[in-house]
Formats: sequence, C-alpha cells, structure tokens
Amino acid sequence: MRMSVAKQVLLHVVVLAMIGGLVFPVLILVFNSLKTETDIFASPIGPPHAVTWENFRRVLTDPRFSTNLRNSAVVAAATVLLSLIGTAPAGYALSRFKFRGRTVFSMWLLATQAFPGIIMVLGLFFVLKRYDLINRLPGLIIMHTSFSMPFSIWLLKGYFDKISVEIEEAARIDGCTRLQSLVKVVFPLAVPGLLAVATFSLLLSWNEFFFALVLMRDNAHYTLPVYLVRFLGSGGVVQWGPLSAAALLITLPVFVLFLLGQRYLVSGLTGGAIK
Amino acid sequence: MARTRLSAHRGRSWTEEKAAIPFLLPAFAVLCLVSLYPLIHGVSRVVYVYRALTRQDVFSGFENFVLLFKDPVFFRAFGNSLVWTVVSVAAMFFIAYVLATLLNSRYLRFRRFFRATTLIPWAIPGVVVSLIWRYVFLSDGPANALLSAVGVANPPAWLTSPQLALWTCIIANIWMGLPFVTIMLLAGLQSVEGDILEAAAIDGASYLQSQIHVVMPSIKKVILIVLTLEAIWTFNSFDIVFVLTKGGPGSASMTLPLYAYQNAFMYYQAGYGAAIGVVILAVLLLAVVLYIREVLQ
Repeated sequence: MRMSVAKQVLLHVVVLAMIGGLVFPVLILVFNSLKTETDIFASPIGPPHAVTWENFRRVLTDPRFSTNLRNSAVVAAATVLLSLIGTAPAGYALSRFKFRGRTVFSMWLLATQAFPGIIMVLGLFFVLKRYDLINRLPGLIIMHTSFSMPFSIWLLKGYFDKISVEIEEAARIDGCTRLQSLVKVVFPLAVPGLLAVATFSLLLSWNEFFFALVLMRDNAHYTLPVYLVRFLGSGGVVQWGPLSAAALLITLPVFVLFLLGQRYLVSGLTGGAIK
Repeated sequence: MARTRLSAHRGRSWTEEKAAIPFLLPAFAVLCLVSLYPLIHGVSRVVYVYRALTRQDVFSGFENFVLLFKDPVFFRAFGNSLVWTVVSVAAMFFIAYVLATLLNSRYLRFRRFFRATTLIPWAIPGVVVSLIWRYVFLSDGPANALLSAVGVANPPAWLTSPQLALWTCIIANIWMGLPFVTIMLLAGLQSVEGDILEAAAIDGASYLQSQIHVVMPSIKKVILIVLTLEAIWTFNSFDIVFVLTKGGPGSASMTLPLYAYQNAFMYYQAGYGAAIGVVILAVLLLAVVLYIREVLQ
C-alpha cells in the first residue's frame, strides 16, 4: 500500500496545523514577555514590535520573586529527597518479596491518584495547625510527599521488576550480603528508575498550586505558582508583560528535565502496558 | 536458599515476609501518616458543622449531606463537573487518537521533532497554562483578535458569559491534557503489528472499520488506562477553573473541587467542604477501580 503524493502533503499539513495549535499559545506567552504593556494590547497576537527586557528585569529584581523562588526550591528539593530515600526500599520489596497484603498495598499506591486534594488537606489541617506547620514550608512538604511517595514506590517497583533476580543471586554467590548486593548491584542498575522518581516528584512539587494556596498565608512563604497567580490581584489591571516573563522563568527550570524524564513516567503510569 | 527467598514468583514463606519487613516498614509508616490518615480523617470531617455563634465545630451527623442535597449551587457544580470531565476526556481522546495515528505514519517526515513538540504543553505548570488561556480569551485578547480579523462582528466575552465560561475552561483543559493522551496512544499504536492491518485490508475492511475493529481492540488496555487516569485528573482538577473564571459568572462554571475549596477556606465550612470531597471520591471510585484493575493484571 503506497500513499499518494497528495495524501502525503495533506498528512504533513494536518500534523503541522495540530502541532501549531499546541505550540502557538506558548509562543504568545514568549511574545508577551518581550513586549511593552501598550504593545501587548495594540497587537495581541503578533511578535513584539520592539523587544524589551524590562519585564524580565522587573521580575528578577522583585525581592518577592527571589523569596518565593527559594521557597519553591526548598520544598521541591525536600520532596524529591524524601521520595527517593523513602521509596527505594519499599519499591524493591514490592518487586521482590511476596507478603500478605501485597495486592492491597499496590492498590492503595495506585488509588492515591484519585484522592481529592480537599479531603487530604482537611484531613491534615488540624494536625498541621497543632504543630504550627500552617504557613510553614515543612507543612507543604508533607502535603507534596503524600502524593509523590505512593506513586514513586509504584514507579520504582516497575524498574526493579526489570532487573533480573539472577544478577542479584550471582552477587550473593560471590559472597555479598543481601544489603551489599542491593547497594552495589541493584541500586546502580535502578538509576533510571530513581531519575524517573526524581523527575516525577520534582514536577509535582514545583508545579503544585492548590496546597500552597491553602496552607501559605504571606509573601514570605508563598511558592512560585502562588506568586504568579497573585499577579491577577483582585480585579485591578493585570500586568501581562511581567506576568508572562515570570511564567516563563517558572516554567524553564523543569521544562528540560521533564522532556528527558517523561518516557519513564509514561511507562510507570501504564504498569508495563507501554514499554 | 537464596533463590526461593528472592523470587517473587514462588509461594510466600514466613522467612520471606520477615525479610520484607525492614524494607517496607519506613515507607509504610510514613504513608500511613501522610496518606491514609489524612484520607480517613478528612472524610470523617463530614459529620461536623461549624457554628458561627459558638465558633466551634459541632458534631451533627449527616446534616452536611442534608444541606448538600438542598443546595442548588452544589447541583450546578456537580453537573458542571460531569460535563467538564466527559467533554474534556472525550475530546482529548478523539483529537489525540487522530494526532497519534498521524504521528505514527511512516510517511511523516521529522517524526521525532513532531513528537517532541507535542509534549510541550505537558511540561508547563497548570497555573501557567491557565494564565496563558486567560490571556488568550480576554475580550480584547488573541482569540477575539483572530475572530475580528476573519470578520466576526461581535466576538463573545468568553470568560464572563454564563453560556461560554465553562466551555472556555474546557478548551484550556483539552489543550493541557492532549500531550499525555497522545503520547500514550502513540506508544500503544507503535505496538500494533502492520500485518493485522494488511489482513484486515485484504478482507475488505475500510480504513475506519479497521481502526474500530482491529486497531482499537488491540490497544484496549492502553486506551482504558489513559481514559480512566485522565478522567480522574480532570474531575479533581482545580487550577484552570480557579484561574480562568473562579467558577463564575455566578456559578456558571463552578466545579466540585472549586466549590469544596470555597466552602472550606473562604466560608469556614470545613465539614461542608469535606462532604463535597466525599462526593468527589464516590464519583471517582468507579474510575479508580477500572484503572487499578487494568494496571495490576
């Protein structure tokens, strides 16, 4: 079966149009970040008439931006670390051992995808309040971990499944203890899985908005998504130029990481339905 | 013996369970604290009602649910949430299926480039996506500039029209979800053997017939997983509606997660917010069961 030239041209036109639809809104954001406020509303679609870096300068010199950037970085780093340390052994056990409640445990890990944020935050609110963790970064780290840990365990289990038991046994025949074979043989082989977990939890935490909105109360404790939404203010004039510049600055750090790590996420979410 | 203790494929033994304990215990303990406990405690909040007079949460049985079923805004939000989810997921699936099929064509050049660009919206934080679309749909924004350019006399007020607000949010949501659905379906399509398609063609199946009767059934598992997962995420999603319309005008685009948030954190009705959360959880139960069943087998 060969495809006629006309159809091949059509194929490329349709794909280009669809990809265009996916990319164009992002392009508008980039344009706006480089436009003056008057330019933005004089020509809402096109590229800037004269490129200005003023928007980026304003965001980067805003002390609130650097404070909130630091908050986002601390929360994300802690969430990633906790997700890695806390989940690697459990992921290994889920892959290698049979134990009572193994299926129920797996179901729980998967079911967390559907836990409503409102229930989770109300469930922890009074505990956080009692320990004075409302409007504190550790409180937010706990909320992010509650969603990143369960799925991270599941992701890692998939990676350990792919590492053959024989390699581990060979190490143990050579005189390694279980712990040694784990640290020297299995974990190094699971590095792609650990990277997938790092990517997943980094994105989850960096992009998370709802918990940050609910738990954080002042400029000193906001994270970047809240910083961004506060540009909308309460009905006044929205400054789209600086807003767009800030939006790009927030997106870029994790953008590249995501493109590298997404493949592992997809295979984890489908439980091997997709290799 | 090492072999029996390491392998998960054989029957379990006490020694094996004992060996698993130190690996599982830390994560299990933490998860009980930050995942299981909040779920149970959060759900248990539905039996309390906040009394402004005494400024206290008072036990009141099922009062929150009684109030819920008399609340027109709740029903509005419930209906909106269903429309928001069903329309979003159906549209994502349809568009993504077409795009994935095209991206899978061996006649397409620059395939790697196109696949990579498809992913872009997925890599952008939900709040940023929402702000992009809020700008696009401003009354003097890009969408209406385009409409004016092609000669539409009175372009609509997308975000403030009671008829359009929810649909505007849906458009943004479809855009955000497309990459994930497309990449999943594409990965599924790549696993379909060319032979069975040719066999179907020889049997005289039309293109559409072979898609529906041959291709779709052979990637059924991927389709089910992607639909259930996307439905769960969409039903629970908060960012887009919060940033685009805050549920307005009135409650025209109100969804359940947003209404739960407003009650719990703006009107100090934590129990009422929890009751809405329980409704969300109940609706999602079916999707979760389907998702878990597909992933675990």
